[in-house]
Amino acid sequence: MSDSEPVPWENVGREPQKARSRAGMVVDLERCIGCHACSVACKTEHSVPLGGFRTRVRYLERPDRPTLAFLPLLCMQCQDAPCLDACPTEALRRGADGRVEIDQDRCCGNKACVAACPYQAIFINSETGLADKCDFCTHRTEVGLDPACVAACPCDALRFGDLDDAQDPVSQYAEQRGARPFKEDAGTRPSVLYVGHEDWMEPAAKSGIQISREDRDIVYEQPVGETEPSR
Amino acid sequence: MADLDRRDFLKLASGTAVGLATGALSVPIFKRVTDGAPTSAATTASGAATGKIDYTRAKAVPTICFGCTTHCGVIGWVQDDRVRKIEGNPLDPNSRGKICAKANGMIHYTYYPERLLFPLERVGPRGSGQWKRISWDEALDKVAGRLRKIRDDGHPERFIFHYGRDKTKGFTSRFTNAFGTPNRLNRRSICSSNRRAPLMSFYGRDFEWETQDFAETQFILNFGANPMEAYQGGLFMMQRIQDARVDHGAQMVTFEVRPSATASVSDEYFAIMPGTDGAVAMAMCHVILAENLHDEVFWTRWANFPLDDLRQHLEPFTPEFAEQESGIPAADIRRLAIAFAQAAPRCCTLSNRGSAKHYNGMQADRGIRMLDVLVGNVGKPGGYCLSTLRMWSGHYGQDGLPKISQPKPSPPKPKPYLPGTPQFAELPAEVQDRVQGFPEVWQKKYFGELATPSEYPLSFHWYTMRVGQLVQEYIRQGRAKVEVYMSYVYGAAYGYPEANLVREVLRDEKLIPFHVAIEIGYSEQAALADMILPEATSLERWDAHSQNAYGLIPYTGIRQPLVDPPGEARPVQIILRDLARRIGGGMEQYFDFEDVEDFYREWYQNVPLSWEEFKRRGIWHDPTRSLDYELYERPVPEDKLAGSVVDPKTQIIHQSKDGKKTAVGIMMDGKAVQGFPTPSRRIQVYDEIFPEAAKAVDLPLTDGNASPLPIYFRIPSHENLDDDEYILTTFKWNVHTQGRSGHLKYQAEIVHTNPLFMHPETGRELGFDEGDEVEVTTFRPKGYTFRAGEEEPVGSFRNQVRFLRGMHKRCVASSHHVGHWEHGAIGKAADNRQQAEQFPGFDTQHAALQDPDIQQNKIWWSKDRGGVGGGVHINDALPINPCPLVGGQNWYDNVCKLRKV
Repeated sequence: MSDSEPVPWENVGREPQKARSRAGMVVDLERCIGCHACSVACKTEHSVPLGGFRTRVRYLERPDRPTLAFLPLLCMQCQDAPCLDACPTEALRRGADGRVEIDQDRCCGNKACVAACPYQAIFINSETGLADKCDFCTHRTEVGLDPACVAACPCDALRFGDLDDAQDPVSQYAEQRGARPFKEDAGTRPSVLYVGHEDWMEPAAKSGIQISREDRDIVYEQPVGETEPSR
Repeated sequence: MADLDRRDFLKLASGTAVGLATGALSVPIFKRVTDGAPTSAATTASGAATGKIDYTRAKAVPTICFGCTTHCGVIGWVQDDRVRKIEGNPLDPNSRGKICAKANGMIHYTYYPERLLFPLERVGPRGSGQWKRISWDEALDKVAGRLRKIRDDGHPERFIFHYGRDKTKGFTSRFTNAFGTPNRLNRRSICSSNRRAPLMSFYGRDFEWETQDFAETQFILNFGANPMEAYQGGLFMMQRIQDARVDHGAQMVTFEVRPSATASVSDEYFAIMPGTDGAVAMAMCHVILAENLHDEVFWTRWANFPLDDLRQHLEPFTPEFAEQESGIPAADIRRLAIAFAQAAPRCCTLSNRGSAKHYNGMQADRGIRMLDVLVGNVGKPGGYCLSTLRMWSGHYGQDGLPKISQPKPSPPKPKPYLPGTPQFAELPAEVQDRVQGFPEVWQKKYFGELATPSEYPLSFHWYTMRVGQLVQEYIRQGRAKVEVYMSYVYGAAYGYPEANLVREVLRDEKLIPFHVAIEIGYSEQAALADMILPEATSLERWDAHSQNAYGLIPYTGIRQPLVDPPGEARPVQIILRDLARRIGGGMEQYFDFEDVEDFYREWYQNVPLSWEEFKRRGIWHDPTRSLDYELYERPVPEDKLAGSVVDPKTQIIHQSKDGKKTAVGIMMDGKAVQGFPTPSRRIQVYDEIFPEAAKAVDLPLTDGNASPLPIYFRIPSHENLDDDEYILTTFKWNVHTQGRSGHLKYQAEIVHTNPLFMHPETGRELGFDEGDEVEVTTFRPKGYTFRAGEEEPVGSFRNQVRFLRGMHKRCVASSHHVGHWEHGAIGKAADNRQQAEQFPGFDTQHAALQDPDIQQNKIWWSKDRGGVGGGVHINDALPINPCPLVGGQNWYDNVCKLRKV
């Protein structure tokens, strides 16, 4: 080991990045252990205020076994994105590699996109008053870093790459593992694909990415029934 | 190109991208460089970092995480003198560049407006919350003055240094040794004594833990460990286990009392009656022998007990017996034992708190450890491996590694309390009698009741593990006299069993005349101090680091400061150095450094990298070194063979040095091999230390803890449970670290409550609906332990019921990280702005510590915002319950009754 050997983080931003045709992700639920590394990495990366979520890990009680299932959810970067159509100010737009981004200069916080998204991926950021959501960490991927959630995931349950490039490891992984969209019926052609996705999960996780009083998760705890716990 | 800086390059590249066709060429995708939108981080007028991190401008510095005890190599991205992001260090062979939620969220341990920044002195009654700011000089003079006096009076032991988490790898003991006190107390018994004792007995070292070769394994038998959520080394384990499972079909079977993350991702999960893991393990050993699936060659060569005698010992532990005890069907026990043995050597056991934190847990873990020895997977690829660690200096398995040790001179170690010393004379008569009855080897290891409680000889037989949960009680009883009590990032007042007792003693100025707390946040413990010294966080200081290596090549790393501490907070090394210099009397010679970095540079002088390069990489290991497989079959190194003698009877090779005989290996088939670092150089499945220790403290030999062979026996408190009695188990969430993370906003957002989980049938039996508030009342344990058998309840708490079908029906579970009444707005889950403004230890206007979530009260779960609040503190109701002989806290034995409020 020589003293001059490069260390990986020193190359960030120095090396040209391969242009992606369709940025995408595979979420392998068989690898996920529900550790929340992705969601906390995301909140830290983007200084997301409490109460809003670009990504969230759902804890669902399995119907078939007495255990839990873990379901990380994030913006699905749909190819037919209803948010894009809903936005009257054209603040939502598609990036060169297919990701869906919000132009903060154009957004007026009217929430049309929030209502349009079948995944509840969009929320109003309480600091800015504007719409916010996952953008696959554009500021990271443009300098050669993986999105924050992917970089953090200890079990490689989240993988990022180009879904249009058959040679890209993420496409190959999606193919091998039979990845498919979550809530495919919503018909939005997501660029986030799931492995180990089971049908019961869709109704169980219906509140999607934002927290809701309907949640039955055992994390992000909210009052159950009428009584609130007290000390 | 070479002359351009990175920013220029990106601008240039993004400019050219416009004119290029998509896809084919390698170009950066870069947007909005010129549209005026801030892509770099900005800082608001209030100082809070906003905007995106600009990774072309931020500087990455490697360090070691301190979010839990796993200590992963990380890199911190620093922009505008602020750590903006923590990521994994891909050069760390253990973490392989991955991190967890805690590592990410730890930034808010450093940056939040309710961080302690100034030395404080109490002005009202102790615990009244009234403080004034004082200067460091004044604070250090006062503490040093008190310390100097007791040292000059010949009673250095009256200085107690009690830490919750100390990973300075020996810096704080440098201080306590130089001072002369043996009372550097810890929390090992809270954590892992029951788990370490079996390792020390079997293998002669605890190696921090065993290091299973998960990457290569085919079958994992897990008794109550939760590496997917909370386990020292969990991050290293989880990624290898999931690779093994998903990529090459390894099976994992978990016995647990609740559907933990580990249970949930296991291929099979069995809800087991708490405290019966040992029965299952013993029955599996029984099956493996009955089916002749054991590795006879390995056992005969390395175990210290005849196989035929073992068969006899295992006779009563049938799967049917284990089913009766544990509720696990005998057919499953048989099937899994066979599958485990058939996978050998690519199989391993895994255990931790679930198996070990019980009255019978030390023996349960010995039974589990025996499974690996029986199938001969020890040290084999895919099996149960042992990897060396710690600071390296030629100990077992460390041959050829550079010597890494603290700079000289080293202070002398404290002297034992031998009869005739003034310290011995002060002990209660009963204790004196007991210690005088000890064998000489223990007398030489005896340092008084706080460091080496005489009723728990196995807490110091191997090394001083101590029994932390009894410290305050022993002080109350007068077993040790205290003049200065120093808490170092220590949360006993909140997190210990019967924490109310801790608080009661800490409040008593007769028992604790002076309490100084070195802390980062205003904890429940610090609230009971007379003086608070604000410490730097792990992002602001140096530390040495090593951990057992799941890559099976030992490594080391360095924690280094990424930024300066805010306000007047200082690293512990500076605090202790300056105290030592003020105390004087020779102490100062061990703290002869101005810059802390110089001290660590010398510490690491033998790492074969330049200091600058070591700091640049953050990690060093030798990737060409052979993996730590079968260390016991390695030849004894030449230098250790020189002048050695072989005992003709035992074949143990001894080296004599300075009149001291040390075993260095064992002759096997005419070859001098290292064996295991036990007295017999074999795996000590049979160990007379257990009955010997029992005899020394009058523990009847009928108590299972006294058995020289691994054994299962029922927990005394769980005999004849009434129908209305249940077992209360506590547990850790993956986003929290004991009591140290309740005030970290992103972690608390995920877990801020601790409902009482129970099986729906348990609830229905008791007439509870989900959401009902119930009262949990706990009772004293039975057997030979602290206040055993007293009828009076220990305590009670109220909490809300949540149903989970994965719960064992006899068990209820609640986590123990929440329900803080100090630790700021997030800790308390309440609007704390007014109190924080007025608190003299904080500077809520400090530019670097601004946090709109706290300062605009965005804590959506707080009660004043209509939320559920911050959970219930349950630790007062958990009885102090040290395991006989070793003293590990039996956290999960708690018998309780439940009542709807």
